[in-house]
Amino acid sequence: MKKHSGKRRLAKFGTLLIVLTCVLSLAACGSKVKENTVLSADDVAGKTVGVQLGTTGDTFVSDLETDGSNTKVERFNKGADAVQALKQGKIDCVIIDEQPALKFAGSNSDLKVLDEEYADEEYAIAFAKGNSLRMEIDGALEELKSDGTLDKILSNYVGEEIGQHPYVSENNGSKGTLTMATNAYFPPYEYYDNGKVTGIDADIAQAFCDKLGYKLVIEDMEFDSIITAVSTGKVDFGMAGMSVTEERKQNVDFSVSYAQSKQSILVRDPEAAAAASSFSAKFKADFLDDARYNYILKGLVNTLIITVFAALIGIVIGFVTAMIRSAYAYTGKPKFLNLLATLYITIIRGTPTMVQLLIMYYVIFASVNASKILVAVLAFGLNSGAYVSEIFRSGIMSIDKGQTEAARSLGLPYGKTMRFVILPQAFKNVLPALANEAIVLLKETSISGYIGLNDMTRGGDIIRSITYDAMFPLFGVALIYLVLVVVLSGLVSKLERRLRANERK
Amino acid sequence: MSVSNEVLLTVTGLEKSFGENKVLKGITTEVKKGEVISIIGPSGCGKSTFLRCLNRLEEATEGEIKFRDYTVTDKSVNINEVREKVGMVFQHFDLFPNMTVKQNIMLAPVQLKLMSVEEADKRANELLTRVGLLDKADSYPAMLSGGQQQRIAIARCMAMNPEIILFDEPTSALDPEMVGEVLHIIEELAEEGMTMLIVTHEMGFARQVSTRCMFFNEGVIEEENAPEEFFGNPKSNRLKDFLSKVL
Ligand SMILES: Nc1ncnc2c1ncn2[C@@H]1O[C@H](COP(=O)(O)OP(=O)(O)OP(=O)(O)O)[C@@H](O)[C@H]1O
Ligand SMILES: [Mg+2]
Repeated sequence: MKKHSGKRRLAKFGTLLIVLTCVLSLAACGSKVKENTVLSADDVAGKTVGVQLGTTGDTFVSDLETDGSNTKVERFNKGADAVQALKQGKIDCVIIDEQPALKFAGSNSDLKVLDEEYADEEYAIAFAKGNSLRMEIDGALEELKSDGTLDKILSNYVGEEIGQHPYVSENNGSKGTLTMATNAYFPPYEYYDNGKVTGIDADIAQAFCDKLGYKLVIEDMEFDSIITAVSTGKVDFGMAGMSVTEERKQNVDFSVSYAQSKQSILVRDPEAAAAASSFSAKFKADFLDDARYNYILKGLVNTLIITVFAALIGIVIGFVTAMIRSAYAYTGKPKFLNLLATLYITIIRGTPTMVQLLIMYYVIFASVNASKILVAVLAFGLNSGAYVSEIFRSGIMSIDKGQTEAARSLGLPYGKTMRFVILPQAFKNVLPALANEAIVLLKETSISGYIGLNDMTRGGDIIRSITYDAMFPLFGVALIYLVLVVVLSGLVSKLERRLRANERK
Repeated sequence: MSVSNEVLLTVTGLEKSFGENKVLKGITTEVKKGEVISIIGPSGCGKSTFLRCLNRLEEATEGEIKFRDYTVTDKSVNINEVREKVGMVFQHFDLFPNMTVKQNIMLAPVQLKLMSVEEADKRANELLTRVGLLDKADSYPAMLSGGQQQRIAIARCMAMNPEIILFDEPTSALDPEMVGEVLHIIEELAEEGMTMLIVTHEMGFARQVSTRCMFFNEGVIEEENAPEEFFGNPKSNRLKDFLSKVL
């Protein structure tokens, strides 16, 4: 009987899922994309323009935003996101650096780059103010320029001879490691290829590291985090197709320029009928080609690691602080620890998890070289602890006062009363709330991408930035979260039933 | 049923206030070994509060309570030692729902290292036989009737081998048909010479079982006497009035 209902529930759930997928897919395909309305640079004013947050393009169109032309600017964290919005007709054009624009147009038959260009700009490498490493790398860059290496690297990514001059590393990292911050959604300068960050910047960095005898490590993060990461010393330098601007110069020092670029306008191509690739082709491109499902699987592992360890930390912290606060409520002691615990809970519950995560990474661990997973585990663990604490405390308070009095009247001291009488009952009462907190925690870890951690959500995002298909990567990721949550809830209700059954013998 | 001259409990000038509300206004009395004292009085007059001061579930505001050599009202006294010897049975039984009947009974003696597990198990079986519930040893409280639960609560209290038991309206939460079985057990305890203070509304029971009856009114002991005199020849008008209403 019981088994039956479990199976039926599963079947129900499966059906629901399939129906949901169909509805959403139809919605995604059914709509027709708006026609292109930006034919020249003059048309940009008054339109909805996409840019990548914090780029030169952003600075440029920001002027349009306030000049009364009614131009709307949408700022995306990644160039690829802007391109996707363009393809879906959510925005009218994207203003982005020339080479990425060409690359995007090349890999998307329904997009094209307008012939007109905006202002020239110089790409350079960002260093923390006063970092002497800059001089060293400037020297190496000059050498790479004069011996032709730089041009060779560029020609491997743009122009007629793409792929014909791959840079081969000599790999002699004897002087230690240099960490480079980048945002790997900006082809051809940096992008993911077979799970690795590659591109012009990556090759040039590798080249000067080889020359100077360093080992190169590349850290992928949000574009607008790069300057902070550089100036706080989290990384040794930032290199992300970054042009030199006055604002940036206030926070970092720049190397000599290593490449020139222009801002280009990317629009939908009215000629090319959007090559609507079939479902199965999209599915294949999203998950099977180059074993891209690995982005999600590796992310899933990280998501699970973060969730499990953060939950453990949360339970320990939550339990300890709840005990402190309950003891204080009952006996008036310990005063100081109670104050500390209350302060902790107030702060954690009063600020967004995302801000806590960023503070943990960029402030608390600014100068410490801790792994991102560790930072995330600590941040989410501390965060969860505050909620778990309140759950435990309300569980303890929910137990009738008569229970404590009955136990104490038998001569049992406070500690034993808690341990044998109150906590077992409280624990059972709060089990659903704890499970709910675990579920919230699991889903909340999806913001880990903001410190450049490759969790499952970001895994899906990476695939999206490669294939420009939003549906399958996002649905795939959503589906895995959903399954995890359903399994978790199932386990808890099973445990709950067992605990309840105990009392009904 | 014999009252000795050995004094177990001395209460002197006990006062208790909750904020502005003065509930006990100076109570002085003595409890001798073997006494069975019924406490009656109108609702809200402080009967429960008095009982709860005796094992310090409530802190007295003024006055002194002594149990043998322990000064209960003294902050430095180890109150847990007092509570091991001064048991309490509550109106709502307050059995631990997360434990079986037997675990309820064995918890305190074992955890306080007064008995080994084997001894406590043996004692639990004795007590369960005595309250007629040996077959419920492995049941959880939720599966028992109110009367059965209160009998277990008495057994749990007895397991500590207390010298005094405080009963706070032990039958008030019970359906009428279950009152008898609980009173019967208290009666047996009285016959064995257990010292007890019983807050109750069961006048017949009070008259039959107690060695002394106390009438509480507005925070003082208005009148106390042996049951025949107390019920047969009440002195104060308030007691006469009260008895005329409840009898
Ligand atoms: N914890 C408390 N805080 C504040 N006031 C209380 C508290 N406990 C009892 N009181 C008050 O003290 C007075 C006496 O209460 P108590 O429970 O001792 O009365 P009682 O004689 O046992 O009455 P009943 O027959 O209804 O049980 C009441 O007015 C009650 O409101
Ligand atoms: Mg009462």
